[in-house]
Amino acid sequence: MSESTTIDDQTTYNYHVIRQFAIMTVVWGIVGMFIGVWIAAELAWPALNLDLPWTSFGRLRPLHTNAVIFAFGGCALFATSYYIVQRTCQTRLISDRLAAFTFWGWQAVIVSAAITLPLGMTSTKEYAELEWPIDVLIAIVWVAYAYVFFGTIAKRKTSHIYVANWFYGAFIITVAVLHLVNSAAFPVTLTKSYSMYAGAVDAMVQWWYGHNAVGFFLTAGFLGMMYYFVPKQAERPVYSYRLSIVHFWALVSVYIWAGPHHLHYTALPDWAQSLGMIMSLILLAPSWGGMINGIMTLSGAWDKLRSDPILRFLVVSLSFYGMSTFEGPMMAIKTVNSLSHYTDWTIGHVHSGALGWVAMISIGSLYHLIPRLFGKEQMHSVALINVHFWMSTIGTVLYIASMWVNGIMQGLMWRAYNEDGTLTYSFIESVVASHPGYIVRMLGGAIFLSGMLLMAYNVYMTTRRTDQNVSAVGAVAAH
Amino acid sequence: MLQHSVGILIRPQQTWSQLASQSEGEHAKLLVYPLLLATLPALAWFWGTTHVGWSVGAGESVTRLTPDSARLISFLFYAGMVACIAAIGYFVHWMADTYGADSSINKGIMLASICATPLFFTGMVGFYPILWLDMLVGVAAISWSVYLLYLGIPIVMDIPESRGFLFASAVVAIALVIFVCLLVATVMLWEWGAMPAFTD
Repeated sequence: MSESTTIDDQTTYNYHVIRQFAIMTVVWGIVGMFIGVWIAAELAWPALNLDLPWTSFGRLRPLHTNAVIFAFGGCALFATSYYIVQRTCQTRLISDRLAAFTFWGWQAVIVSAAITLPLGMTSTKEYAELEWPIDVLIAIVWVAYAYVFFGTIAKRKTSHIYVANWFYGAFIITVAVLHLVNSAAFPVTLTKSYSMYAGAVDAMVQWWYGHNAVGFFLTAGFLGMMYYFVPKQAERPVYSYRLSIVHFWALVSVYIWAGPHHLHYTALPDWAQSLGMIMSLILLAPSWGGMINGIMTLSGAWDKLRSDPILRFLVVSLSFYGMSTFEGPMMAIKTVNSLSHYTDWTIGHVHSGALGWVAMISIGSLYHLIPRLFGKEQMHSVALINVHFWMSTIGTVLYIASMWVNGIMQGLMWRAYNEDGTLTYSFIESVVASHPGYIVRMLGGAIFLSGMLLMAYNVYMTTRRTDQNVSAVGAVAAH
Repeated sequence: MLQHSVGILIRPQQTWSQLASQSEGEHAKLLVYPLLLATLPALAWFWGTTHVGWSVGAGESVTRLTPDSARLISFLFYAGMVACIAAIGYFVHWMADTYGADSSINKGIMLASICATPLFFTGMVGFYPILWLDMLVGVAAISWSVYLLYLGIPIVMDIPESRGFLFASAVVAIALVIFVCLLVATVMLWEWGAMPAFTD
């Protein structure tokens, strides 16, 4: 189980494209998180926007979200899905050339985003800000991705399709549908388009997309990662295979309905809001099904946890997954949402999922993956992984704790009124009161980012050519 | 009882060992501990919000709560603290089996309440509420409590440190979930009857 890759693996499977995606995961992770820390600092010290349009919060914020979700998260998903689908189907990717196209195509999407968003070109749809020519490119790359992934499954040498592939498959199909429907637009010029939908329908389509970007891009895909790397690293079988199938179907059939909770108390019909709230509450069950399966898989590996920081990343990511998928349904309750919406509580919730779950499970998986891809026994420094683990955990906790305090405080201040019915606080007073929280949040983010820099160093030292892996890589080249 | 509260702050290791060697009956007696100590922050905040008041930013106007409103909220605050301790204690007991430890509900609640000692004491900053100071003190107190938890679990539960580390981490995860419940309860109560009445 804990074998490093052999020359045989290197030639049997297409590791080249996985190596590319794995390295770019680290690179885009640092870029995206750096922008995040920068705009966090802008909120604490507004002068940092430099009074330039290109560096203003409104333009950098979508750049941050796109970079961490689609560049960092996306590359992590491409890398791990290509690895898992080959290993569990015991066959090479169906097309090396198309796989290479998905890599270069996806990088082109990211670079285009990094150019157009600071220039202010945006469709104004959250998490789908990119303008239509880039959307077309995304669609083409995604179709190629689907062909490579499902084509590889089709030519598998095993009779069984491992459950991790089910999650990746659901993620690929649903993201395709979401992207095509939500990004449908009338182009006016090359850089400007208008949504195909109007008014409340547009809002509903947008949040059907937006919430399922969370549900399928940031959850289903990463659960696929969990179902491969957690059993591998713990060297134990999945706790319950049946539970994994049951919660898979429950998750994909319930998530798709939860979008309206982003539109509580808006022009959306009230019944649709209530339906979204109920579905969000039901969603707790399949979410915790996944968490329990992961935690129980790890639960027999106590002795390993002491010495294995990779396993710690995986355990803690599952804890944050459990916490944030509990918090989400709570915040979807209309009464709670009437306070929490538009406050920093939402930002804290998103980051307990994004830093605690998505980033930490990706980091853990990459630490497992990278030595195997580069023909090494293990990472250059296990001690540095341990330091990284603590920096990630502390950074995440500081981030979400400060946002909890800020969020609940803002919500309560905004609705506080005096006996004569006047508001107790003006809006700006709530901003002033949020200042200490913004500083703590920026510190938390900066600590998390610094951990990523350690990772980059560790990855660089691991991937450097040595005598040991020159032969392996050389063999691939000869092949 | 008081010696534990001081002891855990200045000699944590010894105090945990002492508590670990106590009988089930003595653990049951310690159930009074959170009931008593939780009154400190509740009374402090009652006084602070009704008599001293607070202001936000550079504003000179001081906001206070009416005594009636503050009485109700302080009581709910007290009940919330006690309920959280009881819930965390219950979950500590519930998980103990998984980590191969002998436990009882009383032991779990004892562990949770002793861990919360720094929070109970620093909660007294409420006598004179200053937002940024309270946040700093709060973060320090939470870190202290978490430290006590990681230190105490292996000692009190009598399990190896590596397993205790995992146990304590699981308790932190549970505590985060319970904290979210507390936030939700705050919002619900505000909506349904316990809305504060502000006064100058």
